[in-house]
Amino acid sequence: MTALLDADPRDTIDGGPPAATRPRRRGTIRDRFPGLALPALIWYAVFMIGPVVAMFVIAFLSWPGMLTTPEPAGLDNFSRVFADETFWTATANSAIQIVVGLPVMIGLAFLLAFYVVQKPRGHRLLRYLLFIPALISAPATAMVFYAMLNPDGLVNGALRPLGLAGNEWLADPSTALGAIIAVELWSGIGYSAVLIASRLDGVEGEIVQAARLDGAGDWRLAWRVYWPIAQDFIGVVAMLQFLSMLFNSAQTVLLLTQGGPENATTTLAYLIYRKAFVETDLGYSQAVGVVLFVIGLLGMWAIRRTLRATH
Amino acid sequence: MAQRTVLPLRDRIGSITSGTLAWAYAALLVIPFYYFIVSSFKTNEEIFESPLALPTSIDLSNFTTAIEQADLGLAVANSALTTLAALVLTLLLALPASFALARATGRAGKIVENVFALGFLIPSFAALFPTFLLAAALGLFHTRTFVVFLLPATALPLSIVILTSFMRTIPRELEEAASMDGASSLQVLRQVYLPICVPGIATVLLLNFLSFWNAYLYPLILIGPDTAQRTIQVALPTLKVDAGTDYGVLMAGTLFTLLPVYLVYTLLQRQMQRALLSGAVKG
Repeated sequence: MTALLDADPRDTIDGGPPAATRPRRRGTIRDRFPGLALPALIWYAVFMIGPVVAMFVIAFLSWPGMLTTPEPAGLDNFSRVFADETFWTATANSAIQIVVGLPVMIGLAFLLAFYVVQKPRGHRLLRYLLFIPALISAPATAMVFYAMLNPDGLVNGALRPLGLAGNEWLADPSTALGAIIAVELWSGIGYSAVLIASRLDGVEGEIVQAARLDGAGDWRLAWRVYWPIAQDFIGVVAMLQFLSMLFNSAQTVLLLTQGGPENATTTLAYLIYRKAFVETDLGYSQAVGVVLFVIGLLGMWAIRRTLRATH
Repeated sequence: MAQRTVLPLRDRIGSITSGTLAWAYAALLVIPFYYFIVSSFKTNEEIFESPLALPTSIDLSNFTTAIEQADLGLAVANSALTTLAALVLTLLLALPASFALARATGRAGKIVENVFALGFLIPSFAALFPTFLLAAALGLFHTRTFVVFLLPATALPLSIVILTSFMRTIPRELEEAASMDGASSLQVLRQVYLPICVPGIATVLLLNFLSFWNAYLYPLILIGPDTAQRTIQVALPTLKVDAGTDYGVLMAGTLFTLLPVYLVYTLLQRQMQRALLSGAVKG
């Protein structure tokens, strides 16, 4: 992941010795074409690129069920998608999830990383704990939250002594989406913080000391010194988490709410899943897939623009 | 001057907030853990009555129920088999590719490298249905085999980027000395590059172990609910029933699925550090 960042500067390293010093016999073709990369490339093309290409094709087919024969449909799927209220509900849910969830996640992860990098008492323990959510699978996380959020679960149990009425968090349309976002934040903040901390560790002590001498306290140090230096890297972490929220959140939705109650937690990614595997409206599903693909690219572009390196 | 008096206060608040935040989040990470570990030794009544109390006795019956009810033993074996085979296949594909890309000087190498780097942008999840069609077309639908083929493909971009950057640090002179001795490309890879790349390989293995073991949607759709084939991640949620989930059993099952991850993480982490240390000593 970090390699996305430093892929470019490395290009210059490989000047290597001049070709003449290499044994002629070995042939320059092998050096020019990385033949040993072919199996991986073919594998990758078949299992990853192929399905994505197929998605674009199916989006333009009328295919109302596995057993029917698909027929060309032009833009019909897209006009059906855009006329569908569920699609707009799902778009709104995905938008809320990302507009609320992503800045909170990245902001908190940055503050956490900043705190850990200062090496306060217990920072080793903290670093260890931050890694926990990255180790746990989506089903395990979902099951733990399912147990905590159920009407008799830990959350209501903690509210009861405070005199607050509990809630059916996952079954109440007004809290269900919030619960899904909370699960995402729970698992995303720690891992983002670990990644960002690895970058902040590289900030030179001299810069920090100079800022301290100028009378900068923690708050100013964090946002005026550390953030600008790490900004482009934080951008990469933000992109990763953006894609994960946009696509992988469908697993959490599937495990906890199945899009309900009343579509309150139906996100775009979950809609793709439901239309393909529950309702088998395949053209519709893949048309939403194409829309989501475009949103993904636009979002990455927007994040890159916002958090581009300042220097 | 006015600023000077204002800033320290704000900074103090700032440092207090970031510290409080950090430990509050740590508590939020630990409490669910504590809750589900103690719950896995309790009955539903005990869980609802006093959610945070320690269990009155170490009763393993929830574990035996969970393992029997969802066939977790078989599911762990399936997960282990799938993960292991996919890891081997990943290395078989990624190692030669990284080796070739690290040595390539021409434009072709750069293009291939960029193709893999673009893989970070591919939303493989959106293409879940075409992947399902591919499995059917290959006659591998509802088999572990297809998932073993598919998972390495999803892992190739990251694995190749990591391994290539490792192999770039190996001086060409080493390889040339070996080629002079008449070693073939694959021998150079095996005898010169592999030993030096052990830390990189450990990193790749660790990362991919986590993502393969934890994979959920691919195994769910492609292997399906057949108990003889399904993986642990697919088996676990079957313990959640719409009416009357036994939370003790569910939490015991969850704990059971997490144990291998913590075991391997601890083992590989140590191995990684040792490898990095020995690499530093050699350098």
